[in-house]
Amino acid sequence: MTEPALVVPALEVDGLGVVYGGVPAVRNVSLSVRAGEIVGLIGPNGAGKSTTLHAIMGLVPARAGDVRIGGISVRGRSPETIARQGVALVPEGRRLFGELTVAENLELGLAGRRRNGAGGDDLGAVYELFPILADFRARAAGELSGGQQQQLAIARALVAQPTVLLLDEPSLGLAPVVVDLVFSTLQEIRERGLAILLVEQRAQRTVVLADRTYVLANGELRLELTPADAADTDRMVAAYLS
Amino acid sequence: MKAILASGLTDFLSDAVDLQVQVDAIGLGAVFALMAVGIGLVFGVLRLVNFAYGQLIMAGAFALAFASDRGWPVVVGIALCFAVVIVLSLVMERAVFRPLRGQSPAVMLIATFAVAFLLQSIALLWFGSLGKTAASLTELNRPFSVGSVEIRKIAIVAIVTAAVCLALLVLLLNRTSIGLHMRAAALDFQTARLLGVRANRVSAVAVLIAGVLASIVAVLLTVQFPTVTPTFALRETITVLAGVVVGGMTRLLPATLGGFTIGYVSGLLGGALPTAQSQYLPSFVFGLVILVLLVRPGGLFTRGVPLQERV
Amino acid sequence: MNRQAALQLGAPAGLIVGAALLGALVSRSTEIYFINALVAVSMVVALYVFVGNSGVLSFGHISFVAVGVWAAGVLSVPEQEKPAFMPYLFGFLSDTTVGNVPSLVIAGLVAAAFALVVGLPLMRLSGLAAGIATFAVLEITNNILRYYEKIGPGLNTFSSVPETTDLAQAAIGALVVVVVAFAYQRSRFGRQLRATREDPAAARAVGISIYRQRLGAFVLSGFLAGLAGGLYVHFLPINVDAVYLDLTFITLAMLVIGGTTSLWGAVVGALAVSGLDSALANAENGLELFGRTLEVPAGTRIIVVSALMALVLVLRPRGLTGGREFSLARIAGLTRRKRAQEVAS
Repeated sequence: MTEPALVVPALEVDGLGVVYGGVPAVRNVSLSVRAGEIVGLIGPNGAGKSTTLHAIMGLVPARAGDVRIGGISVRGRSPETIARQGVALVPEGRRLFGELTVAENLELGLAGRRRNGAGGDDLGAVYELFPILADFRARAAGELSGGQQQQLAIARALVAQPTVLLLDEPSLGLAPVVVDLVFSTLQEIRERGLAILLVEQRAQRTVVLADRTYVLANGELRLELTPADAADTDRMVAAYLS
Repeated sequence: MKAILASGLTDFLSDAVDLQVQVDAIGLGAVFALMAVGIGLVFGVLRLVNFAYGQLIMAGAFALAFASDRGWPVVVGIALCFAVVIVLSLVMERAVFRPLRGQSPAVMLIATFAVAFLLQSIALLWFGSLGKTAASLTELNRPFSVGSVEIRKIAIVAIVTAAVCLALLVLLLNRTSIGLHMRAAALDFQTARLLGVRANRVSAVAVLIAGVLASIVAVLLTVQFPTVTPTFALRETITVLAGVVVGGMTRLLPATLGGFTIGYVSGLLGGALPTAQSQYLPSFVFGLVILVLLVRPGGLFTRGVPLQERV
Repeated sequence: MNRQAALQLGAPAGLIVGAALLGALVSRSTEIYFINALVAVSMVVALYVFVGNSGVLSFGHISFVAVGVWAAGVLSVPEQEKPAFMPYLFGFLSDTTVGNVPSLVIAGLVAAAFALVVGLPLMRLSGLAAGIATFAVLEITNNILRYYEKIGPGLNTFSSVPETTDLAQAAIGALVVVVVAFAYQRSRFGRQLRATREDPAAARAVGISIYRQRLGAFVLSGFLAGLAGGLYVHFLPINVDAVYLDLTFITLAMLVIGGTTSLWGAVVGALAVSGLDSALANAENGLELFGRTLEVPAGTRIIVVSALMALVLVLRPRGLTGGREFSLARIAGLTRRKRAQEVAS
C-alpha cells in the first residue's frame, strides 16, 4: 500500500558534525531515510546516537554538515520549527508530562502540525492505533505503566502527522513482551508511509526490524547492516568492537 | 513585663478581629496575590525571576499620574497605564529575556536587576524623586458603611478584581491550547519545543499576562497611594518575592498562596500592630525566606519539589 | 612566582598605582573621584574573591561592607562626639575609640565573623537559591542596622569619623585587597574552588569539599569587604541607605562589566565604571564640550551604567576582559588566533 519512494528522501543527514561539551560527538555522519523505510542506528553507549537525533531535531547545534527534510535544509532552525516541518522525536526516557492527562499530552502533539486544521483537532486516528490510550485518556500520564507510556510517547509524536519519526531507545526499560508490541507498532507505522530513524541498544532486534541498520561508534558510522546480517554474529560483534 | 505583653497581645487580637482590618488585610493580600501570579507565571515559563516587575508597576502608576496631571478622563488614564506597561513588558522580553534564554539563572537574575535599576533611574530622571500624583480614582479609597463598620471600597474592588483575574487565568491555562502550551513549557521546556510549542510565543504570552496583571496592580495601588515616586511598589515587590519563594516558586498555586499570605499578614500587622513592634518585621520575613530555601526549597505550600535549574 | 603570575598581579596592581598617581596630579575636588574609584576597587575585588572563584552569585556582599562601615565607624568616632548621633550605644562601644589602622582591621574581622555565621547555612545553596538567600541577608542586615541603635547610628549619618582615607590609604587598601585575592586564587584552596566552579561532579570525585571551599572564600571575601567598608566610612559620611541596594547594584555591575571570573576583570571593571560614573557626575554639573555647555541631567549616570550592564550581559557575557587574567600575548594580537583555535576545538 505504500507509495514507491519519491525522488527526495524524507530525511537526509549529510556530513553531520556535532561538538558537545567541547568534544566532537558526531563526525561526518551521512545517512538517508525514505518514506516507508525504517533505518536503524545502533552502537555502544556514548557513540553519539542520541546526539545525532538531537542535532536533526535542532536541540543541539550542528557544527558541520546539513540536515534536510524532504529536500529542505533545516540546519540552524529551532526545534519547534523543525517539528512543524514534519519531524517528530520520541525522546529517550519518553519525557512525558506526567502531571498532564493522556489527552493533554496528545493535544500537545497537535502543536507540531503543519497547518492547524489539516485533520482538525481530532485524535481519533491515534486512538485507533493505540486503543489502550483511549481508555486512559483522562488519567495523568504518570500513572501509566512503562509500556503504556511508551505507546503514549509514540502516539504523541504521531499526532503531529509527521513525515519523519525519530525514536531514541524506545525499548529502554521495557519488558520483552512490551518491546514486541512497540516494534510491531513501528512496522504498522512504516506501512503508513513514514520515514523512521530508530536509535536502539538492542542490536539484534533492530537489525531484524529495520530495512537498513548503521553502526555508530565514537561518533562515526562504521558499518551498514541488513536483516540478513542478523544471523552473522561475528559481523555484529566486530561492528561493535571496532 | 508579662502584663504588658499580655495586654499588648489582647489589644492586637481585638484589633485584628476587627472587620475593617480583616477586609483591608484581605484586600492587600489580593493585590499581592496578583503580583505573585505575575512573578510566578514568568518564572514558571521562562525560569526567570523578574526583579524589574516592581518597576513595571511603577511605570503604570506614572502613566496614571501623567494622565491625571493633564486632566484626562480616568478611563484614558487606565488605558494609558495598560499600554505603557504592556509595551514595556514586551520590549523587555524581546530585548533582554529572549537573548538570555538558556543562560544560567544567576546571569538572568543580574540582568533583570540591571533592567530594574535602569527603569528606576529613568523614572528618577523624568519625574524627579518627589514624584507625581495620580489623583484619578481616589473616590474608591473612601469607605462605605456596612452596619457599624466602615469598609473602604477599594478593598472590595481589589478582592473582586483579583478573584476574577485568577478565575480567568485558571480558565486560560486549563481550557485553551496556549494555556496548555504554557503549562507544558513550565514543566519541561525542551520537550515542549520538540513537540512544536513555540518558545517565543509562549514566552511572550506569559510576559504579556504578567504585564496586564501589573497594570491592574498599578491601578489598585494608586488608589491607596496616590503619590507615585520612582520607588513606587519597590518594597511591595520585594515582599511579594519573599512570599513567592516561601510559598513555592515553581508552581503557580503555591506562589499565589504565598503572595496572598504575606500580603494578608502584612495587612493584619500593619493595621493591628503599632509601628514600634513591626520594625524588625522584614528581618523575620527574610529569615523565613532563608529557612525555606535551606529546608524546603520547593516552598511551604508544595510537596517538596526543589528549585530546578532549567537545562 | 613565574613571569606570567607576576604579570597577572602586576597589571591590576599597576592600574591601581597608576590611578593613584593620576589622582595626585589633579585638583582637590577631582581627587575625590579617584579615591572613590580606589575604594570601589576594594569592594569589587572583595566580591570577586567569592563570586569569581566559586561561580555562585551573592547579592549580600554589601552587607559585609555595611558591617565594616559600622564597626570601623562606631569605633573611630571620638568619644565625645558619639552621643551626638549615636546616643543609645552599648557601653563598651561608646567607651572605646580606636585608631585608623586598628579600625580597618577590626572592620575586616567583624565582617568576616558575620560572613562565617551567614555562610555556615548558606554555602550549601547554588544558583538561584543562593542569589535569593544572599539578597535576604542584605535585607536583614539593612533592617537591623537601620533600627538597632545600640550598635550604631541607626538612621543617622556617620559624622565625625576621621577622614583618613586619602589617596594613599585608598590605594594601599586596594593593593592589599588585590594581593590577598591574588594569593588566594593561586593557592591550593583557590584552585580547588575554581575546580568546583568548572565541574562540580569531577571536583567532588577527587575529594574536594565544595561546601568547605566555598565557606572559606566567603569568609575571606567577607573580611575584605569589611575592610573596604572601613575605608569607605573613613572617606565619606555614610548612612544605612548608602550601603544597600544602590551600592549592591553598582558593585555587581562593575564586576560583571569587567569580567566576573578574573581579578583583572574585577579591577578593570571597577576603575572603568568608576571613571565613567565620575565623568558623568562631573557632566551633571555642566559639561564643557567644544566651547558649549552641555546639561547632563542628574541620574544619567545610573541609566548609562545599568544600560551598559544589560548590554554587556546580552552581548558579551564574559565582560570587557573576557573573564581572563591579564596577558601580554593577548595584547600582541595573538588573541584572535588563539580564540579561533579554541572555538574550533
